Amino acid sequence: MSLKPQQQQQQQQQQQPAAANARKPGGGGGLLTSPAAAPSPSSSSVSSSSAAASSSSSSSVAAASAGGGRPGLGRGRNSSKGLPQSTISFDGIYANMRMVHILTSVVGSKCEVQVKNGGIYEGVFKTYSPKCDLVLDAAHEKSTESSSGPKREEIMESILFKCSDFVVVQFKDMDSSYARRDAFTDSAISAKVNGEHKEKDLEPWDAGELTTSEELEALENDVSNGWDPNDMFRYNEENYGVVSTYDSSLSSYTVPLERDNSEEFLKREARANQLAEEIESSAQYKARVALENDDRSEEEKYTAVQRNSSEREGHNINTRENKYIPPGQRNREVISWGSGRQNSPRMGQPGSGSMPSRSTSHTSDFNPNSGSDQRVVNGGVPWPSPCPSPSSRPPSRYQSGPNSLPPRAATPTRPPSRPPSRPSRPPSHPSAHGSPAPVSTMPKRMSSEGPPRMSPKAQRHPRNHRVSAGRGSISSGLEFVSHTPPSEATAPPAARTSPAGGTWSSVVSGVPRLSPKTHRPRSPRQNSIGNTPSGPVLASPQAGIIPAEAVAMPVPAASPTPASPASNRAVTPSLEAKDSRLQDQRQTSSAGNKENMKPNETSPSFSKAESKGISPIVSEHRKQIDDLKKFKNDFRLQPSSTSESMDQLLNKNREGEKSRDLIKDKIEPNAKDSFIENSSNCTSGSSKPSSPSISPSILSNTEHKRGPEVTSQGVQTSSPGCKQEKDDKEEKKDAAEQVRKSTLNPNAKEFNPRSFSQPKPSTTPTSPRPQAQPSPSMVGHQQPTPVYTQPVCFAPNMMYPVPVSPGVQPLYPIPMTPMPVNQAKTYRAGKVPNMPQQRQDQHHQSTMMHPASAAGPPIVATPPAYSTQYVAYSPQQFPNQPLVQHVPHYQSQHPHVYSPVIQGNARMMAPPTHAQPGLVSSSATQYGAHEQTHAMYACPKLPYNKETSPSFYFAISTGSLAQQYAHPNATLHPHTPHPQPSATPTGQQQSQHGGSHPAPSPVQHHQHQAAQALHLASPQQQSAIYHAGLAPTPPSMTPASNTQSPQNSFPTAQQTVFTIHPSHVQPAYTNPPHMAHVPQAHVQSGMVPSHPTAHAPMMLMTTQPPGGPQAALAQSALQPIPVSTTAHFPYMTHPSGEACVCRGRRAPQSILLAQVEWQAGPALQAPHLRTSKTRQSVHSRDCDDQFSVRA
Amino acid sequence: MAAPPGEYFSVGSQVSCRTCQEQRLQGEVVAFDYQSKMLALKCPSSSGKPNHADILLINLQYVSEVEIINDRTETPPPLASLNVSKLASKARTEKEEKLSQAYAISAGVSLEGQQLFQTIHKTIKDCKWQEKNIVVMEEVVITPPYQVENCKGKEGSALSHVRKIVEKHFRDVESQKILQRSQAQQPQKEAALSS
Repeated sequence: MSLKPQQQQQQQQQQQPAAANARKPGGGGGLLTSPAAAPSPSSSSVSSSSAAASSSSSSSVAAASAGGGRPGLGRGRNSSKGLPQSTISFDGIYANMRMVHILTSVVGSKCEVQVKNGGIYEGVFKTYSPKCDLVLDAAHEKSTESSSGPKREEIMESILFKCSDFVVVQFKDMDSSYARRDAFTDSAISAKVNGEHKEKDLEPWDAGELTTSEELEALENDVSNGWDPNDMFRYNEENYGVVSTYDSSLSSYTVPLERDNSEEFLKREARANQLAEEIESSAQYKARVALENDDRSEEEKYTAVQRNSSEREGHNINTRENKYIPPGQRNREVISWGSGRQNSPRMGQPGSGSMPSRSTSHTSDFNPNSGSDQRVVNGGVPWPSPCPSPSSRPPSRYQSGPNSLPPRAATPTRPPSRPPSRPSRPPSHPSAHGSPAPVSTMPKRMSSEGPPRMSPKAQRHPRNHRVSAGRGSISSGLEFVSHTPPSEATAPPAARTSPAGGTWSSVVSGVPRLSPKTHRPRSPRQNSIGNTPSGPVLASPQAGIIPAEAVAMPVPAASPTPASPASNRAVTPSLEAKDSRLQDQRQTSSAGNKENMKPNETSPSFSKAESKGISPIVSEHRKQIDDLKKFKNDFRLQPSSTSESMDQLLNKNREGEKSRDLIKDKIEPNAKDSFIENSSNCTSGSSKPSSPSISPSILSNTEHKRGPEVTSQGVQTSSPGCKQEKDDKEEKKDAAEQVRKSTLNPNAKEFNPRSFSQPKPSTTPTSPRPQAQPSPSMVGHQQPTPVYTQPVCFAPNMMYPVPVSPGVQPLYPIPMTPMPVNQAKTYRAGKVPNMPQQRQDQHHQSTMMHPASAAGPPIVATPPAYSTQYVAYSPQQFPNQPLVQHVPHYQSQHPHVYSPVIQGNARMMAPPTHAQPGLVSSSATQYGAHEQTHAMYACPKLPYNKETSPSFYFAISTGSLAQQYAHPNATLHPHTPHPQPSATPTGQQQSQHGGSHPAPSPVQHHQHQAAQALHLASPQQQSAIYHAGLAPTPPSMTPASNTQSPQNSFPTAQQTVFTIHPSHVQPAYTNPPHMAHVPQAHVQSGMVPSHPTAHAPMMLMTTQPPGGPQAALAQSALQPIPVSTTAHFPYMTHPSGEACVCRGRRAPQSILLAQVEWQAGPALQAPHLRTSKTRQSVHSRDCDDQFSVRA
Repeated sequence: MAAPPGEYFSVGSQVSCRTCQEQRLQGEVVAFDYQSKMLALKCPSSSGKPNHADILLINLQYVSEVEIINDRTETPPPLASLNVSKLASKARTEKEEKLSQAYAISAGVSLEGQQLFQTIHKTIKDCKWQEKNIVVMEEVVITPPYQVENCKGKEGSALSHVRKIVEKHFRDVESQKILQRSQAQQPQKEAALSS
């Protein structure tokens, strides 16, 4: 209580006697006030509660400011400090970082302040001012007598010590690291620990009596890690009354497997076992298991220097007993297993790493035997690989598949099925249903699941294509390559399809996106090439990937068509194609085409296989092989019929030609029939082609029946389905099965309902082809819309010609199967096979779309799907035209063209279709000139357009056609399709597209619809419109797709379309309103007059498309331009500008916009066609929704 | 008294000085502010804790015989950022503790009781003075003279736990005393502390 110190320096102390010295009644405003007070005599020692309350930082700041405010009030201050600092800058000790740091670090610590008179005050250091005035909270003067602590009344709230008043301040036992922010860093912790923990004295352990002890061993051998769960539960219950609700069955999280003896279950179980065996027998699996179950300790494996080989690991002992083995090498040994295995099988063959993986995966599914290792690989790598490089991988797979027979067959088929359908499903189906089942499942799945299902189909097709490709891969590949556009187009489609498959699967796995993208890219390339060089395009898209893509392209095609059948067939083809494989890889596109073609053939076989396929996988394989053989024969037979066209094609591709021929034959017949007989004929023709013998008749019948049904329902979906339905039936069945888990038959039945007879037929032998012919469905569609049917027929025919590139046809078949049900069938009546492919493509696209929509990638994905669809369609169309006029082209390049077109993607396809109309109206030649595929399409389209098929054309023309149809169907049968087999596919697709990928698919659909509407408006004009529309649509499509890679392709496709139908296009464009931005001039001129309304939509489409194109342009502006060339280029450019905007926003948005536009277009077009209107309305709604969403 | 040194101190230097109270101070320079003539030194912890140190803030105006034992030319280590909020909360809790302790003292609690209270408080925050009794966790009551046997409450983990703390506290206190008596035996001290 000695006041001396304070008194000496502080008047206040004098005023306030001793004890009170520190205590000051309510503090001032805070340190600021306190400081201010400090100057004044009365407040020499200020203890402000507020100051205490204030945070150290704030208080310190306040103090600082205060310090600044009072210049040299304190005695010592005046002299020493005397530096009134007005600036904001830190004053006094605040400018001394180290002083600030040390003082701040001791804030909150107890301290003892010794004042000049010797008195010591103890308190909690609160803060300090710039002038080093200190504030202590809860301070009291320490009595000299070391007694107990201060009494409550002795403690002052806070005391301010001016710097001149204290001599020494002591902070005891300060932990310098206490306030460090990095208190929890390793360094901080270790530093602390190191400081605190002087090394503990080590005590020798005395085992005591346990020297030899078993107890010790028991401890060492006690593997139990901690408490047993039951012990824990018991303990908690006994000690805390906590009763665990743990149920070892995890019933809350899982559903117990209901075992029954149903065929379905047994199949599934068998499939599961098979898969398990495959997985467990895989080298990779073993390698990984070995890693997991390695008994060696970390030290043994990585750090120990092992000198006793005998006791330790066999590895070391065997090879290098006493030698030290670097950990890395040890691992390598293990790893080598997997890699070697993986590589060995199909990977090596495929040539492309990605390919192998897929192939393996696929193969695994499809080919149990061969697939095992690969499967394993797939299991691990395959899927992943697809995901990473969707497009590349898919292609690669397909390609690889084509290239390497084994991979192809196995991979293509199974992969699709598996990917699409969830792993479990595919297996079951494959095993149970054999190839057919997978296919059916695939389609169904595709429909139900969208992408997955699509993929399956696509994969299936791809396989088929592969097979065909394998056969004619070289020639086709060459042709494709040479014709890059066609081949690429075909290949792209195939690739897309396959990619889609891969993507789908990948999508399922997550890869889809990539694949879509890749597809898109391809498509862009195709588009770019599309004009000419689908191949180049492909290459370009693939650029880095090109090889892969090329390969992929083929593969896809192969995979798509072959799908399930393809796998089997693919194998055979692949064998044949082996030689060509190398070429195929390059020619992949061509191969893809071929494969596609084959797929068509294969599809039948698949269907057959499926029918047969009841037996397990093995049987399936056999069946597939048989089917493939049969298909080959069939194809050949078909080729014979279409041998002429085929021959041309053959020039380019041998086997591919064969397949193509077959396809062509089919197509031609179909086309012819369709042309002649319209839909019915077409369907029959298609049916024939698709499933040469059996299915055709049945299919035709069914198709016809379906056709009517379809017409009634919404022909496109259901009726189209008819043709495709057969194929689709299988697929759908498969899908349905997958969905339902039911066998193919059930699904088939379901599908049959709509096309009763068809489903069964299709499922059985002809299913593929039948589906292709699903043309029946097509017919059905045709019936509803005779024109359509006919067009469809033409399209089918075209498709068949397309087969020129076997891949293409196969693709179609494949698509058909999936697609067929709804649109494909209707369309395919003529083109049934194609339709299926288209549908598949669409499905793929849809799937793609879905993935894309699902994720950012979706766009890309969608484009691929579109592309694939388009491709498929285009092929069909091409086939048709080719048969008529362009056949040569197709033969020579059509495949390529198709592929390009396909690559161009749906849009391309659409353009082709449109183009076809245009060709029809104007001249197929034009299309041909631009792109044979287009020409081909044009032809088909023309028929369609002329007759009524607009919708069909649309469907056909655009890959989206299927979607469009689906949409139309959706509109017509919005969802009825789903229920109905035929309808379901499309409907599902549509629904899927709409639902899952509303925006993407809708867009396309809308576009297509719009296009269709245009077509409807006036056949020729429509055709032109279509072309225009297509062109636009393609653009739109492209935009969406373009956003990613597809757009590019689309743009090209569009461009091509435009070029092709410049005249026509112009009419369509006349719609200028829409086109206004773009191009309009060209298009508008022609289009406007003819179909203002429709044009308007078209314009929208165009505008949007431009966006896509632009995007494409942005990405690969050149490509689009080349494709579109003159007139189109303008569009492209303009579009690009527009598109740019869209893109700027976002690819998806652009797509959406495009879609919207398309929808708008359809709405306008609606007047022309009721169906189209309905569709348009639906689309418009969708568009609106989309817009809203986008907005 | 005041013999302002006309020289600067470099961080890290060992400085010795004598205050106006004839107290000899020595430590490592942590900071020095010329204008305010404030010198911060870091000295070995008076309690002997290895990782702790005593910080002295010396007003050189009242110090004489300042001499630099050895200078340090090396650049001082960088300053670590400080967690101000942590410091602020520490200041708050310290203050509260002191006030609560003062409250107890004012109630006439023995030094042993106060020390025990602080020891317990380090481990269990939920303790307070109730008259002269220490109430821990509302369950255990420790009455003067605050020995282990004075811990009363419902038999259970809480009581046994508190008893352990109390037992250890007095054991430590004993060791502390021994250490103080024989300061030469640092190790024991540490051992006791650490234990």
